[in-house]
Amino acid sequence: MKRLFIVVTVVAVSLVFVGAAFAAGQAHSNTGCGLGTMLFKGNADNSVVLQTFQATTNGIYGNQTFGITTGTSDCAQPKNFVSNQQLNEFMVANMDNLARDIAQGRGETLDAFAELLQIPTEKRAEFYGQLQSGFSRIFTSPGVQMASVMDNISTVSK
Amino acid sequence: MAVILPRLTGACRTFRSACLFVCLAVFSVLVPSTGAASGTASNGYLGELQQLAREKGLAAARTWEVLLHYKPAGSGTMSLVDDPRFFNAPNGSTDREAELSATLASFFRTDEKEDEEHPQCRFIARYTWLNEQLGFDPARLPKAPCAKFDKALSSVNPRSVVLVFPNTLLNLPSSMFGHTLLRINTAYQSDLLSHAVNYAAITGDSLGLFYVFKGIFGFYHGRFSNLPYYEKVQEYSDLEHRDIWEYHLNLTPDEAYRAFLHIWEMKEFYANYYFFDQNCSFNLLFLIEAGRPSLRLTDEFYGKWRFWVIPVDTVRAAQKFGIIERVSYRPSRASKILRIAEEMDSDLKDMTFEVVDGKRTPASVLSEDLRVEEKREVLDLSTELSQYRATTRKLEKAQYQKQFLDILAARSTLGIPAEDPYPIQTPTPPDQGHLSARFRTGGGYRTGSWFTEIEWRAAYHDITDLDEGYVRGAQINFMDLSFRYYFDDDKVRLHRWRVIDIVSLSPWNGIFKPISWKVSAGVEELLLDDGRDHPVARLNVGGGATAGVGSTGRAYLLAETDLQASTRLEKDYALGFGGTAGLMTNVTKDWKVNVWAQGLFYGAGDEHRSLAAALQSNLRFTTNTSLSLDAKRELTFDRYRTDITARMNWYY
Repeated sequence: MKRLFIVVTVVAVSLVFVGAAFAAGQAHSNTGCGLGTMLFKGNADNSVVLQTFQATTNGIYGNQTFGITTGTSDCAQPKNFVSNQQLNEFMVANMDNLARDIAQGRGETLDAFAELLQIPTEKRAEFYGQLQSGFSRIFTSPGVQMASVMDNISTVSK
Repeated sequence: MAVILPRLTGACRTFRSACLFVCLAVFSVLVPSTGAASGTASNGYLGELQQLAREKGLAAARTWEVLLHYKPAGSGTMSLVDDPRFFNAPNGSTDREAELSATLASFFRTDEKEDEEHPQCRFIARYTWLNEQLGFDPARLPKAPCAKFDKALSSVNPRSVVLVFPNTLLNLPSSMFGHTLLRINTAYQSDLLSHAVNYAAITGDSLGLFYVFKGIFGFYHGRFSNLPYYEKVQEYSDLEHRDIWEYHLNLTPDEAYRAFLHIWEMKEFYANYYFFDQNCSFNLLFLIEAGRPSLRLTDEFYGKWRFWVIPVDTVRAAQKFGIIERVSYRPSRASKILRIAEEMDSDLKDMTFEVVDGKRTPASVLSEDLRVEEKREVLDLSTELSQYRATTRKLEKAQYQKQFLDILAARSTLGIPAEDPYPIQTPTPPDQGHLSARFRTGGGYRTGSWFTEIEWRAAYHDITDLDEGYVRGAQINFMDLSFRYYFDDDKVRLHRWRVIDIVSLSPWNGIFKPISWKVSAGVEELLLDDGRDHPVARLNVGGGATAGVGSTGRAYLLAETDLQASTRLEKDYALGFGGTAGLMTNVTKDWKVNVWAQGLFYGAGDEHRSLAAALQSNLRFTTNTSLSLDAKRELTFDRYRTDITARMNWYY
């Protein structure tokens, strides 16, 4: 499914350039992959509330406590996907639910993921089917690097 | 014309109106020294704008009141925001006019530091509104660039607003009354990709009395924060297992934009946080008002002789103003687990537990002689339970990673069901339940005398109240005060004062085995050794288990300890142990009964025993009116007492 892969890639690339439409707009960098990163980050980094929340959310959701993937805190770059921050953050925070939805072939997290990738609605059924049947090639082992998950997704959805 | 100018010296403030024109004249001299502006050309224009604002009476406008959180205080006005940096005028928290003039002056500033946002950006909601009202001339008041704001705006892209209510959860005392937050919908279709705005107290202290004290008396700072909605969904749905109600408001995209401007403006400032009234739910209402200032939501609570704001009541206020368009229900993970398990027979459930206990591989489910739907059920339930165990730390991370992926790998071979295989029926929304305060009156007979009774309860829900909109089996009675007038001795007596009375009956259901518990503290009229009733201070704590009986029934068994204190007791106290067994159930949709028996044996202090059995029933006429019929028979200090009451309940 080469066309879909091209679509996905092109979409991902364009996401970078339409950075304005995405969180913090810093699509070129991977800074702030931490889960507690917030929208207003740049403005109030030093405020107590943000630090509190970052500590809390990282403590709860951080890959150091649970989560099926690793390599999220330093946010290694996937090779085949041009990464953008919102997608990164979404995947880090929702990886387990995303894996569940991929395996079941449906779900709200999967819908949100497809929307972030700008998969057109009419192509989603096909996309979901490809991800489901490619599950074991996407999540290759416990603790798989998040960047590889992204690469694998692009591979199985070709 | 009594007009007040900002940032003037003490002398000027004393003779406000008299020195007004002098002040105006010397404004350009004074202002640089207060750091408000520079350059005489702009000051001329500033004077014009301030004059125009006065002529238009903008300081008295509703929008200005909302944006500054002004509320009447005595004969004047006072802002509920406590952070001094929120105001441009030194007396801005009490003087609308001064604050408006100083805000206009701040827009002319050119001396902000490099990493600092220009006041035009920091106070973007005020700037936007004043610009609309006064029509700033860009040549004379240049628009400062607001890069950070522009970036945030484009990423949030506000379209509509949702009032989100994570429900109470049994067994989570901190969730007692629920919570509210605001969701700003973006251009995305997926709700998960919208933005959550939360208001919370910043508490460094651990829990405890000190925490409660500081919380009640406003020692903590409350602040707004902004998070991706999926993080809040995970927090409530996946970790705390609380169902979420989403009330979609009919704010237009423009109104959502205005709410967002105010959120931006509030992001750096705090207000003292009061757990009871100026709390999360109350402060969110300002954001909605900023979207549409004609809504007077906060006035529903402020200065109304109502000293607390219960989250669900803010939803009702929104309902009252007709801004709720529709409501949607987001079941928690626990609700999903129970829903999946509901249709499975015990063999399938056993198989599921074998998988999550690690006694069989997920792949082995595939080779079982089962229908594909059944295999999916086993693996889907295993998936949820595995995640549940990981989040509750019953499963180590490494074990979880492997188990979870194995389950999903097996599940991924079973195809995609055409529609949601486990649709969950939407229960009654919380705002449709009875109101949270209760008044009741009636009369009855207590061995020896007839009486009449009045009772008032501040909040919230009793296990004998009908459950629609509430969590079944969760009781929170807060400040429940009743007096009785006894005919035989012609006296009014305090019958009962329950300061707090919490019962949490969370049923075992084959998946979860939660603890049931109760705690109550207060003063109660009790039968003592002299054969008469006396007020006794009482603390009662218990724990046990509950089983579901039918669809509405809860059978419960609690071991408890009871501490009584009164000068009428020998040694002034009695400490006892015992237990309660009971069954609460709906007989019909509108008729609920609770029957229980209790035995308490006091071995310390005033040694005695107390046995009691009771039947309580509540018959509903409308959502907010019902009739209670209660009968109780007890044997205490070897004397019998019968207590029968009939009371009408009004919830308001």
